[in-house]
Amino acid sequence: MKMCDICGKNEATLKVRQMDKEGRATELNVCAECARQRGLSGVEEIKSDSGAVLAELRSKIEKQDKEIVCVRCGMSFAEFKRAGRLGCAECYRAFHQQLQPILRRLHGAVQHVGRTVQQGRKRAQERLEVQRLRVELEKAIKAEDYERAAALRDRLKKAGDETGT
Amino acid sequence: MKLVPEKVGAWLLGTGPDSEFVISTRVRFARNLAEVPFSPRMKPADGELVVETVRWALADSGYLNQGQLFTDGMLSEPDGFYFVERHLASPDFITQKNRKGLYVSDDETISLMVNEEDHIRFQALASGFDFATAFSKASALDEKLEGQLSYAFSPELGFLTACPTNVGTAMRASVLLHLPALVLTREIEKVLRGAYAIGLLVRGIYGEGSETRGNLFQVSNRKTLGQSEAEIIEVLTSTCRQIIDYEHKARQFLMHNLRVEVEDKVFRSLGLLRGARIISSEEATNLLATVRLGVALGIINELKIAEVSQLLVLVRPANLQAILGEKMDAAERDERRATFIRQKLVR
Ligand SMILES: [Zn+2]
Ligand SMILES: [Zn+2]
Repeated sequence: MKMCDICGKNEATLKVRQMDKEGRATELNVCAECARQRGLSGVEEIKSDSGAVLAELRSKIEKQDKEIVCVRCGMSFAEFKRAGRLGCAECYRAFHQQLQPILRRLHGAVQHVGRTVQQGRKRAQERLEVQRLRVELEKAIKAEDYERAAALRDRLKKAGDETGT
Repeated sequence: MKLVPEKVGAWLLGTGPDSEFVISTRVRFARNLAEVPFSPRMKPADGELVVETVRWALADSGYLNQGQLFTDGMLSEPDGFYFVERHLASPDFITQKNRKGLYVSDDETISLMVNEEDHIRFQALASGFDFATAFSKASALDEKLEGQLSYAFSPELGFLTACPTNVGTAMRASVLLHLPALVLTREIEKVLRGAYAIGLLVRGIYGEGSETRGNLFQVSNRKTLGQSEAEIIEVLTSTCRQIIDYEHKARQFLMHNLRVEVEDKVFRSLGLLRGARIISSEEATNLLATVRLGVALGIINELKIAEVSQLLVLVRPANLQAILGEKMDAAERDERRATFIRQKLVR
């Protein structure tokens, strides 16, 4: 990182060419603040400076990461990178491309081997619905809302709950 | 809360294979419900739904009859730490605020956390070096739950977890080893590095790094994606077998070359435990671990390995408090701990 030749405090972001009385040109590295104060305009922006370039790159990536968002839970990839935790199952699909190198680094693999879930997947989903209704029903009974309880009981029957809670 | 403080879990009975070297074997699975947001995005209602759904699933599969499900109010500190010290729950889980559930089977070989980092994390513990038992017990519960719940799963990435470090099998298998001879002979670093190199993780329990207390080490798999459950357990089994052999040789070396020194260390530890009037949890852990080595080596014959392993759990703060049944400050507890240990070691 190059420091400003005028104030010596800030990081230089501009190259400025100055002529002295003898007509010799000197190049100065100047920070944005000093350039503004002295009305200097730069010959070019300092691009080779790794600090500034990296910072710029970082903010560009950050901006991109913010734009990759899981439609189901609203988590952005930037948010995941900060917290290290995903927002829902769907995030794995939304961030699929971005997760590949991370998974490779963590596990040395990107394909699951081992136990699978196939049987009863749809049945399990129906059961979750039944559980949801059971919770609702219990709440309705506790609140002595018998009308709602009766309606929930009907829905439970329709959802195929044989236990008849 | 219904606790039976002095009764320890079946996994602590010390009757499993290789008990001289291994305290316990554990297999843990993480599972999430497909339709419910993961922990960072969970709303209070989601949390309640998961707790209630799991309650029904445990009831319908017959597990609730054989254990208890503790929810929020019963899981505040220090009650919660009672379970942490028994290896049935994680500390983060207990310190985290609300809408959690902890199921513990009556024999404490099965436990399940609801709304830790993942919706469900359950484990089976077996005494000694015994993956067959731990794996089949954890798998049996997995199958029962799978019939009741819809797991977040993808054919490509396996079981989907809140953190990508656990995705895939979402299985963490581990062995809790007692390796005092490898520590005494300074071979332990080599073992730890070797295990890490083949994709395993070794850490001291009770304390970090080489500062570990009681020379108790947990070896577990680091990776969960790209290896099947069976492969992971195979690697762990063969590696731990090697570590056990290594520890066995180190113990033989000590007995042949430094017998008097080892006996001195063991009997001094027993003497301190029997004589102390004030003792911290940390000191008790260290001394008990040395006594455990003495029993394993046949230097002490009047105690059983299992008794010492149990004491290692019972002397920890929350368990001691539960046994004595009253709230105490640390100084008072250190005094009562010394008395408790003396009574237990009287012959
Ligand atoms: Zn300046
Ligand atoms: Zn999401």
